[in-house]
Amino acid sequence: MLAFIARRIAIGVVVLLGATFIVFMMVAIAANPLAELRASNDPNKEFLIARTTDLLDLDMPPVLRYFKWLGNLAAYLWGHGTFGTSIVDNQAVSAQLVVAVPTTLKLVFGSVILAILLGVTVGIVTALRQYSSFDYMTTFFTFLFYSLPAFWVAVLLKQFGAIRFNDFLADPKIPPWVVALVSVIVGGVAAMIAGGRARTRVGIGGVATAATAAVMIYVSATGFLLRPGLGIVGVTLTGVGVAFALTALNTGLGNRRALLASLSTVAAGAALYIPIQYAFLYASWPVLLGLWATSAGVGIVAGMAWGGDDKRVSGRTAALTGVVMSVFVFADRLMQAWPAYVGHSRVRGRPIGTIGAVTPELEGTFWLGVTDTLTHLILPTTALVLITFASYTRYTRASMLEVMNADYIRTARAKGLNERTVVVRHAFRNALIPLATVIPIDIALVFGGAIITERIFAWRGMGTMFIVALREGDIYGVMGYFVITAALAIAANIVADLIYAGLDPRIRVNA
Amino acid sequence: MTLRHKNLVAIGGGIAALALVLSGCGGPTTNDATGDPSTGPSGSTDTLTPIMGGTVTVGWNEPLKSMNYMSANGHATANYVILYMMRSNWAYYDADLNFVRNTEFGEMIVESEDPLTIRQTINPAAKWSDGTPLDGADLLLEWAARSGVFNDADTGDIEKDDDGVVVGVAEGKVYFDAGDPAVALIKDTPTISADGKAVTFVYSKPFPDWQFNFVDYPLPAHVIGKRALGISDPIEAQAAVAKAIQENDKDALAKIAYEWSFGFDLKSMPTGEDVELVVSCGPMVMSDYVEGQYVTLKKNPEYTWGEEAKVDEIIVRYNEDAMGQVQALENGEVDIILQQVTADVLAAVQAIEGMESRSGYEGTYEHVDLTYDNGGPFDPATYGGDAEKAKKVRQAFLKTIPRQKIVDTIIKPTQPDAEPRNSYNLVPGSPTYAATSAANGYAAYADVDIEGAKALLAEAGVTSPQVRFLYGKSNSRRAQEYQLIYESATQAGFEMIDAGSDEWGLKLGGGTYDASLFGWQSTSTAVFEPAANFVTGGQNNYGGFSNARVDELYGELETETDPARQEAINLEVEQILLDDGFGITIFQFPSVLAWNAQRVTNVSMTPIAGTMFWNFWQWQVLG
Repeated sequence: MLAFIARRIAIGVVVLLGATFIVFMMVAIAANPLAELRASNDPNKEFLIARTTDLLDLDMPPVLRYFKWLGNLAAYLWGHGTFGTSIVDNQAVSAQLVVAVPTTLKLVFGSVILAILLGVTVGIVTALRQYSSFDYMTTFFTFLFYSLPAFWVAVLLKQFGAIRFNDFLADPKIPPWVVALVSVIVGGVAAMIAGGRARTRVGIGGVATAATAAVMIYVSATGFLLRPGLGIVGVTLTGVGVAFALTALNTGLGNRRALLASLSTVAAGAALYIPIQYAFLYASWPVLLGLWATSAGVGIVAGMAWGGDDKRVSGRTAALTGVVMSVFVFADRLMQAWPAYVGHSRVRGRPIGTIGAVTPELEGTFWLGVTDTLTHLILPTTALVLITFASYTRYTRASMLEVMNADYIRTARAKGLNERTVVVRHAFRNALIPLATVIPIDIALVFGGAIITERIFAWRGMGTMFIVALREGDIYGVMGYFVITAALAIAANIVADLIYAGLDPRIRVNA
Repeated sequence: MTLRHKNLVAIGGGIAALALVLSGCGGPTTNDATGDPSTGPSGSTDTLTPIMGGTVTVGWNEPLKSMNYMSANGHATANYVILYMMRSNWAYYDADLNFVRNTEFGEMIVESEDPLTIRQTINPAAKWSDGTPLDGADLLLEWAARSGVFNDADTGDIEKDDDGVVVGVAEGKVYFDAGDPAVALIKDTPTISADGKAVTFVYSKPFPDWQFNFVDYPLPAHVIGKRALGISDPIEAQAAVAKAIQENDKDALAKIAYEWSFGFDLKSMPTGEDVELVVSCGPMVMSDYVEGQYVTLKKNPEYTWGEEAKVDEIIVRYNEDAMGQVQALENGEVDIILQQVTADVLAAVQAIEGMESRSGYEGTYEHVDLTYDNGGPFDPATYGGDAEKAKKVRQAFLKTIPRQKIVDTIIKPTQPDAEPRNSYNLVPGSPTYAATSAANGYAAYADVDIEGAKALLAEAGVTSPQVRFLYGKSNSRRAQEYQLIYESATQAGFEMIDAGSDEWGLKLGGGTYDASLFGWQSTSTAVFEPAANFVTGGQNNYGGFSNARVDELYGELETETDPARQEAINLEVEQILLDDGFGITIFQFPSVLAWNAQRVTNVSMTPIAGTMFWNFWQWQVLG
């Protein structure tokens, strides 16, 4: 095991050296930091040229410059290394990275989680309904999104998700034809997913259509988009729904103790709803994380209290219910802040932003700040999810199909297990193994590849740092970006191999 | 129904009942918005009138990175436009490129022509936003920094830290990270009047562009004194800086120079004591700067020595993407944007309801220059030193350059009223442009003259001369221009060789090409500045052009301070250049200014220096 890791790291270092050398040479040859100065009329041009030449050692051949740069970088090993100085802003590249890395993390984190959740769910459903119209439709749309250029998606998202939506918010009445169209589409999709006999499918489709229409009419008639809120009733009802859904998935509704444990958690959440509203006055991220952990804890306690043979399963289901319910309580509190946010004189009734990470000079509570962050995150996150989730659906679908055809699934069915247990316990878990190796690599790629999204939405993260550095011929800036992303990609590959070995007992790493 | 089912129903009912009861009692009353009172979106747009106060939000592409525009690192428009609003100035460029003096703040008086002596005065009421009065020490320090008089450090004396950032200079060595040949002409230490409100500069020789030196108020000497010399009292700190310069105190100057050069670089709002780095003496003060996102400037309530801003707050938001800026304008996130024009951007701006846009110029212009000294078709040496022959070939080539066609095909789609630029040195729209462009001979080059070019080539007895043409290969606009020039010049019998390269910047002056196409950027209307392009051996004279009369004229201009004579000299230079076939200018880069006409009014722009910010004090919010 240790030998394997050591060997992989050694290979990784060699790859990193080779890659940095190639990139350094390419940038040194292609980019010309003096081009702009040469065409400048500035009286102190000679001084500026001399200064840039000195700063970047332009009088040295690129190969020597590479080794000088590498030597400075390697000095980190004994504690005083450097990424060099950027000629873009005369600051250390390491100082630029300190700002750029967290910005990109903030941007990428949510989109990766969402893309995985959405991609895996859709992938499983399409696998279970292989060759259905839903399967074909999903394939079509995921590939469509996958192949769309990021800059174009971003411009469209801004136009419809921000500009038009904000216009719409001035008078949020949904026209009847939109209600009809959307309800029918949702109903149709539900019917496609449902499976089973034609009668059942039509029934489910009809219910879904009616429910969607009802929700949309309610939203339109009550001005919900301007004054949204779940209230204690909404939160509780949603919680009950979640409890049933999670229990059905996790243990089956036949397991009464699990269901009761989940419902008890919901009851506890409902009872604590108002006290929590007071706690929210002093909200900060640590407080919220604490509340979140507490709600999971309540679930576990409830599971234990209801006892039975499988306390742990009950506890797990109830804990999950608690966590999901607290998300709804959180969302409910954000909704309370929404009217104040939309009406704020800095926002002027146009909440969804197209550029930047924040609304300048917005003053308000923690909740207003969180809302502001979310309204600025929603478009870039959507863009990234649309572009990346296709691959997850395909991986999940393929691996789920393979597992479903495996012998042990036939065995499981033969011994009389119900379909839920077969799918969730036996198939789903094994289907995730190949995915576990894709995700780390994908995260590394998204991290370095959000360049266009960052630029268009004016987030100054890694992508912007790279683009600006490349344009100005700032070789140390480019290399700073590249070392981080390349190292991340190599590390992700090693991690993926280790995860695979950990999850799949057939794989041995010390071979 | 089994017992279990009954249990479930009971629990569910209980929860529902509890929920109903609890929903009666509310949580805490919340008011999430603080600061400005919240108002809904205003619906009516028919009764908009300019009001006083309010916020204007401006889109800009590149973030502020230094509060010192004159240091090597800080020398960027992105820094200038913010400082422009935070500094008093003695003069500024208006929309018509007039150099307007702000006599309310102070005067620049010629005390003597020989030696050229300039006395600059400061309004005694003027002070920094921290309360310290403006003082001649500020100007003295600026001179010390930019003249390079005190710099005695060479590369080996400059200490860098692990990250290569300059952390210090060898003991007692002075290194101001700046250099300005115009300021270097002032060799003697300027004198400060007894009250500290006037500074007298004596130039070592007459200098025509003196009025462009020391126009914007410089860095605060008292802040540098505090930070570099550790003196807490601002007045004493100011005096200490002045004293160090006057007495050439190398130890103190070394520290001052370091602070001046690198101490004012910043990427976000400084905190604590460091907030003194952003002190202002202009109409606006900085109140916030979030890295890479936005800068907030508030109206300076103390400012009375010049045009006062009508708005209370100006926010500059940063976004590099041109289309992103247009959409931000449409979404109400910014009120004013200034963009390089592309057909997409223009179409997008014009498609938005309620916006106004105006096309204008940037400071950069496109031009073709010919090479005199590389043994090519334009070099007299090729024809055995027959200068007249080479000149005819040059003139023939310039006659084939389809200037009007380039403007029509490339610029007009984005700027319908575009015209070719008809002057080497003057920005279109500047005060003397019309007269000069009418008389400098450009009229003869208004249209392509293939026949004339053929005739000239025949006269010279040269057949199908080969012209290696250098331009930025990946720049699609320049590639298109080359194509048009190629088609036209070929007709006259020139054999065009595509020497386009992405390394064109490095190839300039290397003699590997016979004609080059690229852009120069004007940064001021200073008359002597272009000399470097044309005098023998000049810094920007890449083509090896040498003309005794031009050298003589610039020699005269160097010491000429009478504007009328300056104009006449420039005209003669331009006439010689064109007649000699030095090269030709093509067009000024177009730009587009767009603003939300429902939100702001009094928006305009100028090609250089202040750009759209030049009249920020006139901006008004509509309400």
